[in-house]
This record gives sequence, structure tokens and C-alpha cells, in this order.
Amino acid sequence: MDITNILFAGVGGQGILTSSRVLALAAVHAGLDVKMSEVHGMAQRGGNVDTHVRIGKEVPSSLIPEGAAHFLVSFEKLEALRYMHYLRPEGVAFVCPTEIHPLALNLRKDESYVKDIDKVLETSAPKLVWVDATEMAKEAGDLRMVNVILLGALSTRLPMGPEDWEAAIRERFSAKVQEACLASFKRGIQYVSAPV
Amino acid sequence: MRKLMLGNEAVARGAWEARVAFGSGYPGTPSTEILEALAVYPDVKVQWAPNEKVGYEVAVGAGLAGVRALVTMKHVGLNVAADPFFSSSYMGVNGGLVVVSADDPGMASSQDEQDNRSMAKAAKVLMVEPYDAEEARWMTREAFALSEAFDSPVLMRMTTRVCHHTGVVHPAERAEFTPKGFVKDIPKFVLLPNHARARRVKIEERLQKALAFSEQSDLWNPIRKGSSDIGIVTSGVSYGYVLETMPEASVLKLGITNPLPMERIRAFAKTVKKLVVVEELEPYIEEAIRAAGIQVHGKDILPDTGELNLPLVEKALLGHVRDKVTAHPGDVKIPVRPPTLCPGCSHRGIFTLFRDMKLRVMGDIGCYTLGALKPLAAMDACMCMGASVGMAQGLEKFGGPKEKGKTIGVIGDSTFFHSGLTGLVDMIVNRSQATLVILDNRWTAMTGGQPHPGTGKDIHGEDAPQLNVAEVCRALGVKRVREVDPYNLEATRKILEEELAAPEVSVVVAVAPCLLGARIPKGEPVEINLETCNRCGACIRVGCMAIHEKDGFPDVDPDLCGGCGVCEQVCEPGAISLPAGK
Ligand SMILES: Cc1ncc(C[n+]2csc(CCOP(=O)(O)OP(=O)(O)O)c2C)c(N)n1
Repeated sequence: MDITNILFAGVGGQGILTSSRVLALAAVHAGLDVKMSEVHGMAQRGGNVDTHVRIGKEVPSSLIPEGAAHFLVSFEKLEALRYMHYLRPEGVAFVCPTEIHPLALNLRKDESYVKDIDKVLETSAPKLVWVDATEMAKEAGDLRMVNVILLGALSTRLPMGPEDWEAAIRERFSAKVQEACLASFKRGIQYVSAPV
Repeated sequence: MRKLMLGNEAVARGAWEARVAFGSGYPGTPSTEILEALAVYPDVKVQWAPNEKVGYEVAVGAGLAGVRALVTMKHVGLNVAADPFFSSSYMGVNGGLVVVSADDPGMASSQDEQDNRSMAKAAKVLMVEPYDAEEARWMTREAFALSEAFDSPVLMRMTTRVCHHTGVVHPAERAEFTPKGFVKDIPKFVLLPNHARARRVKIEERLQKALAFSEQSDLWNPIRKGSSDIGIVTSGVSYGYVLETMPEASVLKLGITNPLPMERIRAFAKTVKKLVVVEELEPYIEEAIRAAGIQVHGKDILPDTGELNLPLVEKALLGHVRDKVTAHPGDVKIPVRPPTLCPGCSHRGIFTLFRDMKLRVMGDIGCYTLGALKPLAAMDACMCMGASVGMAQGLEKFGGPKEKGKTIGVIGDSTFFHSGLTGLVDMIVNRSQATLVILDNRWTAMTGGQPHPGTGKDIHGEDAPQLNVAEVCRALGVKRVREVDPYNLEATRKILEEELAAPEVSVVVAVAPCLLGARIPKGEPVEINLETCNRCGACIRVGCMAIHEKDGFPDVDPDLCGGCGVCEQVCEPGAISLPAGK
């Protein structure tokens, strides 16, 4: 079965669900089958979250096995590392270089975050692309744009056409922010097409 | 038409297509979004009940009135509704009644992993199991017809991955259904023992009728003819894993799993060399097949705890896992990131007090259960909804002098209305001396902010009658009821001490709305003066995401901190200052 697997990872509240939903909508617009698995409830309270999106001609199940993801899109560095083993060795990771520290239990330093995490990430996924979506969203004046920027970057590697993405974005976002979302989405595309 | 829907949204769609007139239930992951989605459709009355039992009973009443009714809950909710669930089976239905039980294999958000397929069998009601969103739609729609045709409530058993996966759905036109009106039928609906004995016989007759239907139904129990080397019997989410692992196998997919169509299974088994059941959790189908004298594999090659997934099914059916090699960070220790109370949450301060006062805390279920995690670690037991009240009474009575004056029950407001009330009645009449702390944050926060009887809103966000927690406790007969502001630690501590010392039952109501539920905008952050900070770590130990360690000192994240002031109050050297004007 020819299925493309995309895993989104991050921290509860970062907009991962929205991203995956837009991706799934774009797949529907492109006439593809899609199944996506998401997290609700307990896991959302500031814990790590992941959503699985699988697209293809026919998609029977919604969970991506470890080692089967073609793409990993992470909104946070530590979470990229936590879900890295879902990625195929030749898979592509799009990682936003944001650091959100897990809850500290004391004032000792050593256990808060992984040392040299950038290097660790780059060696574990040779095809890693840094996408500083947070910085770009700040430039655009709206931090909520992080998710569409990352989607823009991802979209360059997926079979859906620009009109499918546009339709998906228009369907998911209110009229008020649609144009901003579309602009940010394009910014994500440009960023990976012609890195500065 | 193709539409993207969450499994739960598809259930709502199917119910609406079936012209359901009423939807009821109590929130609980992974079932909550069904009623929320149904509430958006026109011509349906949708309401949250205070608990699953009440929700179920109102739905039965609606059914008696001749309309179709849907009631939704998570798996443990069916335990709460078990009494009417089992008895309504004897009554049968007038308008169709479908109850959704959303099970949680793997316990992503639950305290247990029970497999409610055995509940349908024990209650002798029909059961259907969808595998994806599209099936959730049409099975819900058709389940109402089954309910009426076989005069039985229908249990629709779903699981987390069916409820919370999103897939392509093909919405259809609404079905025809004319409400029947109430039909007086005393022997059927009044379950006196002699009536019930007659109904008992009817139950077996209706199951036989349903079985005959299920045996010949290619729609509900389709057979996918494939290789004769292996035949797989499966249901629910497992079907997807089977299709993907062995597209060439013969598959009997059961959409109706009570009663089980054993002759269909037997005939299918005869067409294959080896029969395997792929099912999550209990060997429910497998044991029935074995009891029918048919050779079968199942839990000898698959786990009976936790969720199934593709690799587990691959290993069982193929003997190996397909995707073995993964990108890997090597042996780096990745810090865990457990869920925590939100920055500014009204539960944080009071749990800091419980810890610092070294109280014995009988806990309950809700966001505040996170108070059991480090660095708060201020909860000693938590079992099921409402249980804190009874456990506190029992522990205080028998814990001896060590637990005297130290034992509290702590319960959220939604949980209090759900099943804490009767526990409190018991504390009163049986002269408990324990203290009950009710965390009145006005919303059912844990499940995403649904209203409850103390909120003053209905499922649509419209104003609704509002019950006041403290007044309810007084009306029940509690003499000592005190309200506190949980953001004021000193005052709260004083009142807790007084009430713990009192030799009778007392209730302390901590009143402060959930920031998310009430949509309260974030305030200005606190500031830390590193000159006066003595690095004692007390601020870190309140367990807040907005404050973390940086170069050995506490550091505030201004994007997260809203200046609730809990860390400011625990800071002895006074190094933390509140935003101006607070
Ligand atoms: C019988 C049962 N029904 C539903 C649930 C799901 N559930 C867990 S906690 C909770 C209510 C939490 O609300 P509340 O007590 O007000 O505490 P809060 O989360 O607001 O702090 C619900 C509905 C459950 N665990 N058990």
C-alpha cells in the first residue's frame, strides 16, 4: 500500500492539531484518502502531544508505526528528539528551533534539557531541515502563524497542489485570518525552496 | 460528498441522519465530542447530564415518549449507568435507544482499561462496533433501526482510536422516522418481578431474532474472500491493522459483536486452513469461538493489554515487523514532559498547602488529580469519580490518631455534582469528622471545559439555572461550610486548619473559575529579583510551567506567567513581586 506518513510533534497547546487537520483537509481536496489520529483529554495539559496523518489512495489505519514516518514535523526541539524513532532513517524532519522546558522539579541544572540538542538532532536525522517558524511568525506579527509556516515547508514534499492547500486553509480558518495564513504558508514554502 | 470528520463527529452526523430527537450524556475522554458535535445540528435537543446514570435515564424516558435518543459516555461511565443499562434491557424500547461506550485501551486518559463488550453480553443487548469514521456514521444511523427492530437498547462500542481519528466520511440524506408517541404497556415497562420474569424470556427471543439477522447480514458482518491459508476474524479498529498487514488474507469483519454470528464464523473457518482472531484487549470473540468448538488463535500471539498497532499485528500474523530501522538519537536521556496544571490554575495554590500542611488527601478525578504528581505530590489516593468523599470518611474513621484532624477529601465541582453528593450525605448522617474540600472552578475542566450544574450555562453556551456548591452543602445539612479564595494561601490555610480541627463534618469550597473555561485573559507576569533570591527553590516546587531554572536561579517566562501570585506567596525572602496593581 502506498501511504505517506506524517508525524506532528510538540507540546500541548502549540497548534499541532490545527496543522494536522489542515493537512488532512488538503488531502481530501486532492481526492486522496486520509486517516489521522489525534490526542484529546489528559495528554493536552502541557504534556507532549503527537498526531499521526497518513495519506494515500487507500488508508486502512491511522497510527504510524515506529520507523515508518516519511516526515516528522516538530514544533519543539525536545519533542523532535522524543519522536525521532518514528522517522525512517531516510525520512525528512522539519524542526522549529523552539525550546520549551519541561516542568522543573528543583533548581539543579543538569536535568532540564538535552545538552547540544541541535547536534544530536542533526546526527539522528541526516535530512533535517530547521524551520524557524517562530521567528517568521513574529515577523509576520502573529505567533499563531507557526503552524501554517511549518505546513508550507512540509507542503513542498507532498503530492497536493497549491489549490488544495489554499482550499484547506480557507476551510479551516476564519475569514479574518485566512489571508494572513495563506501569506505565512507561502513564506514557509519560500523558506525551504530558497533558504537564506 | 466527501467530508473530513472526527470519529465522534461522524457519530453525531449518523445520529442526526437517523433523526435522533435527543442527545444526552456526561463528558469523558474519548466520548466528549459526540454531544458537542450533535449540539450544532438543528432539530435535536442536546444536554449534558450531571452523570451518566441520569443521562441514560433521561434518554430512556425520551425513548418511552417514542422519539429516538442517543446517550454517550466513556467506558467507566457505563459503570455509573450500569443499573439503568441492565434494566432497560428488560424493558426494551419504544423509540430507538443507542448508547455509546467509548473505551480507552492503553488508558490514554482513564483509570482503567475495561473492555465493555462484556457489558453488552452481560446486559443481553445488541452491540455494534465501527472501525472508522465512515462506519461510525452509518452504523450509528442504522443502530437506531436495529434498536427498534429487535426491541433492545444498542450499545455502540467505540475505542479511543476510533473516536479520535479523523477520516473521510460520506454524509447521506436523513432517514425517515416518525415519532411514535407514548404507548402504555405496564407489563413491558414496569419491572415488577413477575413482569420482569416474563421479560426475561422475551430477551432471549429477541437475541435469537437478532442472531438470525446477524448471521445473514453481509452489510454488518462482511466477508472479504482472499487466500485460504489464513482467515482472520476481527472487529473495530483492529480491522485496519489486519487489512494493512495482510491484504491477501480472508477476513470476516464483525460489525455486530453481540450476539456473535457463530454459524457464520463456523462456515468462514471451514474455508481457511488457519483461523486467527485479531481483537484489542479481552479475548471476547476468541473465547466464544473456542467455546463453540472451533480451533482458533488469538491471545497466544497477540497481547491482551493495551492498544494494538500495526507492528504488533505484523509480528503476530507475519512473524516480523516491517519497519524495523528508525532514525535514532542514540542513547540520550530525554526528559519526560508529563501533563501539568496550567500556569495560573486555581488548583495549584491549594495543593501547595495540602503538601506543606502534610495532609492526608483522598483525591478524585479531574485536572486536580495532577496535584498527585511531583513536585506537588499532594494526593494519597484516587480511584473513581466521587470516591474521595467516601474514602475520606473511611480513612478518618479508622486511621487512628495519626490521621485524625489531617484527613481531607478533595473533589472538583463537576465531580461533586456527578457523584459526590451522596457521599457527603453519608458523611453527615454517619457523623464523619473529616473535611471535604470542593474545588469550585465552575467548569468540567479536564475534559475540555464543559458546563455542569454549577456553571450556569448549557451545552450551547446559553444561560441556564445555576446551583451554588456551598448552598447545596448547607441545604444537605452540613453545619460548617466555608468558602475560600484559593489564590489567597494564608487565609485558605487558616480556614483549613480550623475546619480540620472541628469534630464534625465540614466543607471548604475553594471558589475560583477555570481560566480556560471562563476564558479569562492572561494577566501581567511576576518579576524575580535575583539579588534577594536565596535559591531555596520554593517557587519551583509549586510546579508551574511558567517558572523554571536558569543558571541556578528561578526564571519566569513572561509569555506563560499571568501573575496569579502563588509563587510570590511561598517566596520567603520576598524576591518575587506581583505586577503593579495586584
Ligand atoms: C464515570 C466517569 N465519567 C467521566 C469521567 C471523565 N472525567 C474525568 S474527570 C471529570 C470531571 C472533572 O471536572 P471537575 O471535577 O470539575 O474538575 P476539574 O477538571 O474542573 O478540575 C470527568 C468528566 C470519568 N473519569 N469517570
